[in-house]
Amino acid sequence: MTSEEANGPGGAGRSWLPDPARLPPYLLTGGRARPIDDNLEIEAQVMTTVAGRGELPRLQFETRDIVALCAEPHAVAEVAVRLGMHLGVARVLVGDLVATGHLTVRRPELDPTMRAQIIERVIRGLDNLA
Amino acid sequence: MKIVIAGGFGVGKTTAVAAISEIPVLTTEAAMTEVAAEIDRTGHTPAKTVTTVALDFGRITIDSEIKLYLFGTPGQDRFGFMWRDLTEGALGALVIVDTRRLGDCYPAVDYFEKVGLPLVVAINLFDGKLDHDLADVRWALAIGGATPVVTFDARARHSVRDALVAVLRRALIETTPGSAHSGR
Repeated sequence: MTSEEANGPGGAGRSWLPDPARLPPYLLTGGRARPIDDNLEIEAQVMTTVAGRGELPRLQFETRDIVALCAEPHAVAEVAVRLGMHLGVARVLVGDLVATGHLTVRRPELDPTMRAQIIERVIRGLDNLA
Repeated sequence: MKIVIAGGFGVGKTTAVAAISEIPVLTTEAAMTEVAAEIDRTGHTPAKTVTTVALDFGRITIDSEIKLYLFGTPGQDRFGFMWRDLTEGALGALVIVDTRRLGDCYPAVDYFEKVGLPLVVAINLFDGKLDHDLADVRWALAIGGATPVVTFDARARHSVRDALVAVLRRALIETTPGSAHSGR
């Protein structure tokens, strides 16, 4: 067992610990319950950056899974479902990866003028729904 | 972007999401923290309990830049801190009601009005017939005169679409800078 395995998320020696999907959420996040970015919306779109993709061979476990998955844009909630994580765990891990530059995030627009434009686009899109 | 789909148990939230979602309805598990209502006699801080709730959601791709997610509120009618995470930043809420159990939607309507989220009340017509006058429903719900009350069929894609557009038009009115409603 290398020191990397000992210190990576999920604890030491994956082969003799229970399935990570059954570990308590606080173990996966190293004890933190709140993400660095506390406001990451569950619908915020995240995508892997060029730098993040380059880091992939050096990542492990959940962070590797997230960076690999997000080669295509995903909402935080979609990351949680696709990787079998609790939503809160996904928010923390994704928030961390955004902070470290592995992922880029597109947040819901809050500026009223921009928001109104977006709402109109959504209405048009729905009106055109087959 | 997202719209919240709210309403009591069994009222048709997941049905509505499934009718319009471009992907099969997904279910994510979230922890909902609740503070116990009772305080014990020693005056200690009320205990927090954490429950796992299931959130159903779907997705509609609007264009190359915008995806619209529809998140159903959890089956529990107790409100925990997770509701803020669920609704924060949403464009609006569709509150689905069953006229036989109107009271089931009160907590959701109260919450959305309190946080200023644009909402539309939608009566799910199971058999196409409306047994009550829309005005009676509005009175029974004690909602403001400006909140739209519509009827729809949660199983029908275009009907769900029309209800969502009603939510968005409401959001547009309340978002427009300079309008009486903006900044609520």
